[in-house]
Amino acid sequence: MGVTILVPYPLDNKKTGPEVVEELSKRLLAMQATQTGHFLVDGDVFESSFNKTKIHVMHNSEYPASVFSILDNGQKQIPLITDLIFDLLMLKVNPIYASRKQLKIESKGPRFELGDFLVKLGSVTMSQSQTFKGLLIEVDYRPCLIPIICWELIREFLQGFLGQYSPTTIPVYFTNSVPNPHHPVPYQKSNDTYQPIDTVQQYLEHFNNYRKQTIALMMGPNK
Amino acid sequence: MTSENQPIAAMDSLLQASKVNIIPNQEYLLQGSILDVQVQRLLHRLKGLCDNVETAPEQFHDYEACFSLRNIADEQAIHTAPLLLRVRRSNDPADSHMPWQLRYVGNPELGDTKRPTLVRSCFDISCSPSIMEFLTEMGCRLEFEYTVRGYLFRKGRMKITVSKIFRPMNQEPLSGSYLVELSLLAPVGADAVAEDMRVFAEKLKPLVILEKIDHRRIAPN
Amino acid sequence: MDVQINAALNGIKNLRASVSNIFETAITAEGTFLLEESIACVTQNFKETETCINNLNAPSVPFTLGNTSYLNYETDLEKQNMYNELVNGYKWYEKTHQYSAIASTLLQHNSLKRSYFSSSNKRRRLLTGAHTVPPKHVDHLISTFNVNNMQLKIYRPFATNAFLHINLSRVLKAAIILRGLMIEWVTVKGFNESLDNVDDHWSESRYEVFRRVQKAAHSAMLHFYSPTFAELAIRSFITWFGSYSTLFSEPCKMCGKHLLNALPPTHRDVRSLDPTHEECRK
Repeated sequence: MGVTILVPYPLDNKKTGPEVVEELSKRLLAMQATQTGHFLVDGDVFESSFNKTKIHVMHNSEYPASVFSILDNGQKQIPLITDLIFDLLMLKVNPIYASRKQLKIESKGPRFELGDFLVKLGSVTMSQSQTFKGLLIEVDYRPCLIPIICWELIREFLQGFLGQYSPTTIPVYFTNSVPNPHHPVPYQKSNDTYQPIDTVQQYLEHFNNYRKQTIALMMGPNK
Repeated sequence: MTSENQPIAAMDSLLQASKVNIIPNQEYLLQGSILDVQVQRLLHRLKGLCDNVETAPEQFHDYEACFSLRNIADEQAIHTAPLLLRVRRSNDPADSHMPWQLRYVGNPELGDTKRPTLVRSCFDISCSPSIMEFLTEMGCRLEFEYTVRGYLFRKGRMKITVSKIFRPMNQEPLSGSYLVELSLLAPVGADAVAEDMRVFAEKLKPLVILEKIDHRRIAPN
Repeated sequence: MDVQINAALNGIKNLRASVSNIFETAITAEGTFLLEESIACVTQNFKETETCINNLNAPSVPFTLGNTSYLNYETDLEKQNMYNELVNGYKWYEKTHQYSAIASTLLQHNSLKRSYFSSSNKRRRLLTGAHTVPPKHVDHLISTFNVNNMQLKIYRPFATNAFLHINLSRVLKAAIILRGLMIEWVTVKGFNESLDNVDDHWSESRYEVFRRVQKAAHSAMLHFYSPTFAELAIRSFITWFGSYSTLFSEPCKMCGKHLLNALPPTHRDVRSLDPTHEECRK
């Protein structure tokens, strides 16, 4: 486990999702990377029957024995990490918190290793109809745990592999100030020890963007 | 790239595992109590009977809180029993890095007199310390809390605890006796283990009598 | 009888080792060939264990416990623990005996050593050297080290010789195994890797970058080694090692880049402490 940066890869209309994944895979293999299977990150939404509270229940194949849940009540987010059996408990709370099947999102695709780097090319699909939503590229530099220390190094790696599409600044997730429970001065994620939940929270931000886009599209024609 | 090495969604593999009954989600339970003055004798007896001879008795000091979750949106559901969730963590500073424990316990089935133990469905879930805030925000109500100190023994898959319950605020003991529990977590259909438990409970007589206890009968209302 | 029990116990040990070997190959190996080979090995070991066990026969007479059997008659609750303690003490003593016998034969075979060793029982004058410094002196010297971003801690899992654990600015962890003031071994690990167990000191880091740093540290350890100025040697080594606090954040002095072959500059010049890639330095 190390610092993971998640970047959406913009798609122009010239190429389809699978074509881009194919092209990036070839590029990685040319850089001497080895493919080490596939990965899967998925996210379910459970919504309260009496208020606006949502529970996002997510899984990451990199941590196959854990469930990452994030409770969102509109004002703040509370992360919770549990055993897999938590999923069975969520079935028990069913009428109170019901699963929104059409909002289920997953990102899956090939997983590559290049030295100490881990690269995952995820195709994002939504709901049971598996509608394609976009591409999310995950780069994990495993030896380092502090984002601010190795950001420049990861940026250089991304540049070498994504070219013009690579980000120039660290994702906003790391620079947002977070209230510190033990200290009056808020801190930034970029200077904190990276945790597996940070990867999941980055995925959640992007998943929520895709969900908003879809809902906006569905509402659009009615206006 | 065959479909075989595609990762399976966590939920699917979990449902598969619960279908073939390999998830231990049934708790077999016998309970009893013993007066404080006699507890040393019981501990001594258990030390001789149980597996962890060299380290026994293992001590523990835990905090437990019980939460309930009701469906307040549904008028009908108010009269049904709420969902009970228990959160447990060790009070021992040496265990501060250990995960907390979230426990769901279903309604107990006593069965007929032939069934040697009480059986209830049960999930034991390790979790991060944010669980307290998580449950509160989820709409759960804190029903009661207590601390418990005691000794833990193992015999095969059986777990035997001899423990004393205290009020969390002033650490005052709730009664003049120790609670003795013999429990075992097993998957559905492993009823044979209940017989082993009965045999073990026999060996502790007459120091302590372990029985199936229906909690609904001793509830104040 | 003893021989048979020992053979059976060894058989079980081999069986366990080959079973855990299966899991290790299952994690790392690409093909099924290696896996089949280790499964065959398990079957073989299993058969051997079985024959060993069949050769065993139940003891006909009860074991004589010697004087310890009198402990049975002890009625005082508090004193009943004595038997356990006795057994533990006996086990510990047996182990020391076994280990020292093995260590002694190993040391006799090893002719490449940087320190003196003599197995003769003759008393001789203690030779003073870098490796025979009293622990107090080592502690005092280490407490005077003050390198930026570096936390030092001393452990002594094996009697007098110190293990010096270094936490370098949330970048890496290292352990320096000292013999007196002489550096015998350096282990470099990631910040999230364990160094708590003694065995962790002899396993390599999971990450390529720390394996490279460890290699560099080993050559630096030999570079700075000096039999006469041991204090200076360890002091310079620690100062040099402190320059790794910028392992991930400082680009290579030669090519100006962070990455070469997916690795940051893992080499530090022994004089200027400049970071370079291994391939870039001349």
